Amino acid sequence: MCPMPIVQLAKKVKELKSGQVLELLADDVGAKEDVPAWSSRTGHQLVGTEEEGKLLKFYIRIK
Amino acid sequence: MADKFCMVVSEGSFDKAYMPLIMGTTAAAMGSEVHVFYTFFGTKLVTKKANPKLPGMWRIGTGMFKKRMAKVGIPGHDEFMKQAMDMGVNFYACSTTMGLMGVTESDLKPGVKILGAAAFLKLAGESKTTLFIG
Repeated sequence: MCPMPIVQLAKKVKELKSGQVLELLADDVGAKEDVPAWSSRTGHQLVGTEEEGKLLKFYIRIK
Repeated sequence: MADKFCMVVSEGSFDKAYMPLIMGTTAAAMGSEVHVFYTFFGTKLVTKKANPKLPGMWRIGTGMFKKRMAKVGIPGHDEFMKQAMDMGVNFYACSTTMGLMGVTESDLKPGVKILGAAAFLKLAGESKTTLFIG
């Protein structure tokens, strides 16, 4: 639930190297808008999104 | 340089306790420098004894509400504040209201700084967004 997907995402990103792609799974509907907003703000590119029922999948390339 | 994002918290109820933590950690996650200034009844939220309750008649439902929040993965108030600090969020107790509320420096949670209104207004003046939570 908001804001945990974004908070956990920001923490995880620090552990990853540039060019790596991170898969984020979220069951919070807010993430649908939050993740793209976070991406455009931080510059880590959102390269794909998928929806499987209630589960949202985001793929983010680390800058 | 990172954008600055400021909040003023003037109430000490459960909702006013969590709002700045949710907004603050999100802003920090988005790369902002975050400053949260606690004044009047908000001041007790940054003390070691902080135990915020839902406002008014909802007060009795606080325990159930906490359980619901834990279920969706939102940490308890003290833990959430520590996480926010780890993310670089700055928490300040208003020096003037500390006296009014009977709060001393040793009552504050570790990591909480004391700030005057002028110093906070300087930060707010430099920030793109300042929210008032009260």
